[in-house]
Amino acid sequence: MLLTLEETIDLIKKGRMLHIAADDSLLAQLPAGQWIGGTTPYLITEEGAIHTKEKLSVTAIDYAEEVRTAVYGKYNVFQIVEECYEDGLTMLIMPFGAEVTTKYAKEAPEVEELLMHPTVGWVSGFDLEEGGEAKVYDGTTGKSYTDRAVAMYIKLPEGKNAVINIVNIFEDDKTDPIITFPDNTLDVRTCSVNGQEVVFADYIRRKGINTQMPLVADYNGVYINTSIKAVEDGKVSLYAPVFKGQGYRFATEVSDYVAKFDEKIKMAGAVTPVFSCNCILNYMYGGLQGKKTPPYVGPITFGEIAYQLINQTLVYCEIE
Amino acid sequence: MDANIENKLKLMLQGHLKYTSDNLAFNMLIKKLQRKIEENPESIDICIEEIDIFADKYSKIVATDFARIAAL
Repeated sequence: MLLTLEETIDLIKKGRMLHIAADDSLLAQLPAGQWIGGTTPYLITEEGAIHTKEKLSVTAIDYAEEVRTAVYGKYNVFQIVEECYEDGLTMLIMPFGAEVTTKYAKEAPEVEELLMHPTVGWVSGFDLEEGGEAKVYDGTTGKSYTDRAVAMYIKLPEGKNAVINIVNIFEDDKTDPIITFPDNTLDVRTCSVNGQEVVFADYIRRKGINTQMPLVADYNGVYINTSIKAVEDGKVSLYAPVFKGQGYRFATEVSDYVAKFDEKIKMAGAVTPVFSCNCILNYMYGGLQGKKTPPYVGPITFGEIAYQLINQTLVYCEIE
Repeated sequence: MDANIENKLKLMLQGHLKYTSDNLAFNMLIKKLQRKIEENPESIDICIEEIDIFADKYSKIVATDFARIAAL
């Protein structure tokens, strides 16, 4: 729900368990309570995607039996798999550009047990016009961090499970060559295209690839995206890592993001998300400002977490 | 685990049988285990155990998948 600062403060004071996304100027004014938050002035609302420094996107975690929060740095972020509730949901927010976020992005897919513990969340950001620092907030202390991840461990009632899923508008062309990479990395120099080593930046230039389209990897029939941040000085920087041994293709062009989201959301069927978020790159490249993607509302993010860090994807969670 | 399902899961992990779940975590798990088996084909029984643990924990969710896999 989209609330004013006063309405949000009221919910916190009533002891509600909350997830909050908003501009830092608003989060900084909130009192301590049972909440976690992350910075972004870009929000998806029932009325469409907006940029706001006056309203907050607030998700009540009324389905929880209880919650705990914890803050982690790069050396201990994977303690989340040990410290979470056995039958629960972990909601994780990490600041864009922080070392803890890079660590999580690179190593999460290999962490034993991670897939046994539903983990959903997002990467916080800032106003792209004005710049600033991405922050996360641990509402229980009221402290904010630019270099830590904040987790909310949510205990679910017996017999309930958290189910995380994605809506991905991107697909590949199976006739395109498969690209593989020599390492798990966010900065690529060389890759292998159909088994032949090439400079990745040269390959992108030579093929005239639109770098607004992500690399897509096939995870047993589900596409997981990795977005291109920049191509410069012979190096390709990514928003999420590519992984050694995984095959990738560039996504085919999407000309109408709104129509494609409508199509994919219909394909996903009726869902009742307790949390959802969508990527800032979809918002920017797809011109989503003012556009609706019902029933999904929440933060527009600088990275999405569906167990591992992914890009250019709508992520959501249901309780079943 | 039912022997038929175990055999089908082994074929999936070896890439001989294709099945996509509606459950993201299950698909990610299959992908992760396929990579593990590519690196070490002898790890297949350990991988089946991992699926078994996942299925025990999320029996309600995986029940549909196992029924579909059994019918492949």
